[in-house]
Amino acid sequence: MLNESNVVLQANHILKNFPASGNRTLTACNDVTLSVQKGKTLGIVGESGCGKSTFVKMLVQLEEPTKGEILFHGKNIVELSSHEKWMNRQKIQMVFQDPFSAFNPKMKIIDIVTEPLLNFGRIKKSEKAAYAKKLLQMVELPEDFIYRYPHNMSGGQRQRIGIARALSLEPEILICDESTSALDVSIQKTIVELLTRLQREKQISIVFICHDPALVQSLSHQIAVMYLGCVVETISGQHAWRTALHPYTKALFGAVFSIDMDRSKKIEPIGGEAPSPLDVPNGCPFQNRCEHCMEKCREKRPELVEVEPGHQVACHMITSR
Amino acid sequence: MLEIKELTIAYKDVPRVHDFNLSLGQGEICSIVGESGSGKTTVIRAVLGLLAGGGKIVKGDILFEGKSMLTHTAEEWRKLRGTDISMIFQDSGAMMNPTRRIGAVFWEYIRTHQKDISKKEAWAKGIEMLERMGLPNGDNIMRSYPFQLSGGMRQRVGIAMAMTYQPKLLLADEPTSALDVTTQAQIVRQMMELRDNYGTSIIVVTHNLGVAAYMSDNIVVMKDGRIEDAGTGSHILSNSDNDYTRKLLDAVPTLDGASYV
Repeated sequence: MLNESNVVLQANHILKNFPASGNRTLTACNDVTLSVQKGKTLGIVGESGCGKSTFVKMLVQLEEPTKGEILFHGKNIVELSSHEKWMNRQKIQMVFQDPFSAFNPKMKIIDIVTEPLLNFGRIKKSEKAAYAKKLLQMVELPEDFIYRYPHNMSGGQRQRIGIARALSLEPEILICDESTSALDVSIQKTIVELLTRLQREKQISIVFICHDPALVQSLSHQIAVMYLGCVVETISGQHAWRTALHPYTKALFGAVFSIDMDRSKKIEPIGGEAPSPLDVPNGCPFQNRCEHCMEKCREKRPELVEVEPGHQVACHMITSR
Repeated sequence: MLEIKELTIAYKDVPRVHDFNLSLGQGEICSIVGESGSGKTTVIRAVLGLLAGGGKIVKGDILFEGKSMLTHTAEEWRKLRGTDISMIFQDSGAMMNPTRRIGAVFWEYIRTHQKDISKKEAWAKGIEMLERMGLPNGDNIMRSYPFQLSGGMRQRVGIAMAMTYQPKLLLADEPTSALDVTTQAQIVRQMMELRDNYGTSIIVVTHNLGVAAYMSDNIVVMKDGRIEDAGTGSHILSNSDNDYTRKLLDAVPTLDGASYV
């Protein structure tokens, strides 16, 4: 499953702290180790505030990790000079959550999708229209849309523009931060189909953040489940909900409302809320909501342990068995 | 209990909702599903007489307990809203004044509807409601500002406020769309318990067909302001032969469903 030579991006022991009021520190990411494979999708799920967005912001170098390294083709991108960072951004691009605020409302589509190309001097101004048309064609939009403004388009169309802009530089990694959450289910489906088609054609690696476990499962090769800044389980995407072992992952999949579920079955949501990242408990981050919580869980933080190839779990209950 | 007959609603003389029919009995949960812009919110806003931006009912009638609501005066509306009919919004936090504590808002709400209640009693009633909605430490929450609470907690505060006078009809506009799956499951469960414990009728507007399927007795599918399909929950989910309904159902990601990789 995991092939070392195919790893495009490897994040090792990432720690990210933010200063908070009253001399406290907010720990957004706590010892995160994840890898992105060539042409594969890494899905990240977790509740809001678990640090998934902070993590991908570090991958696109909008934030710097407090500790740890991010290896892109074996080179640590955290230590690059600002010019190298700028050049490196061509390789890792991002699609944002809200297609309504991701664009300058005063720019036409033709300028939006070709701006990255012009910035890096890849095309001349006279070639703009031709490139813009090609990009729109790639995301299945009519060519004459290039003279429109973002406000003349629907949410789904705008999200396609977002994808076209991110892919204009032909990056190796595409990062989608909740890119379908603001859309209707039917539109969401077409966007997911577009992303997976483009991935197959261009062999792009995708990092897909989402809070819907069912959607993540349907398009990811590998899923990482985050909770309070920690990765608690990494698991192969296929049938993840059947093979999941960590109590939090199970609870997450158990909370999905399915149209074909048994309606007489009572859903059993996990109670309570995640603790504040300002005040991370010792031991297992999930201890206060876990029904299997043991003495050991309160004292020592469980480490990710491989239970089978491509499947790692951080839970004392499972690894001590 | 609630009957909507041939309702047509126009914004600036352009009809946006056409011939909408719905009938809801006591203790029933009905879901209205559809894509954005299909007119779901317009319908439930009309029930509460809160059409935004010059919306007008041009045809049809809304009967609440056999009485037409369209002829209500402002005074009659005021008596109805918040006591017999109340509403939960997508983000209850945004509905509250950010510069005031939960307690002050709650307390004002209770005193508006119940003039003779003392401040102390109103405060105690607020705490009692919060605790009944599964928010422990109600006193602490009453002293917090909306931004200090998480999304799930704010939504529960909104439900607690809406349920203070045990309304006969509860309108919920996308009550779980802004929440995580785990919190969503908690809120859905809470709303179903309201129905079981108090016999409240609920209309839920949602774009999440999974949620609609789980909680409702009846489902109405809307498209471009018209009813595209309607029926009992199980009929819509398994036996509907409407193309649009099927298309919507196909688009919902499921755990056992199609995989793109």
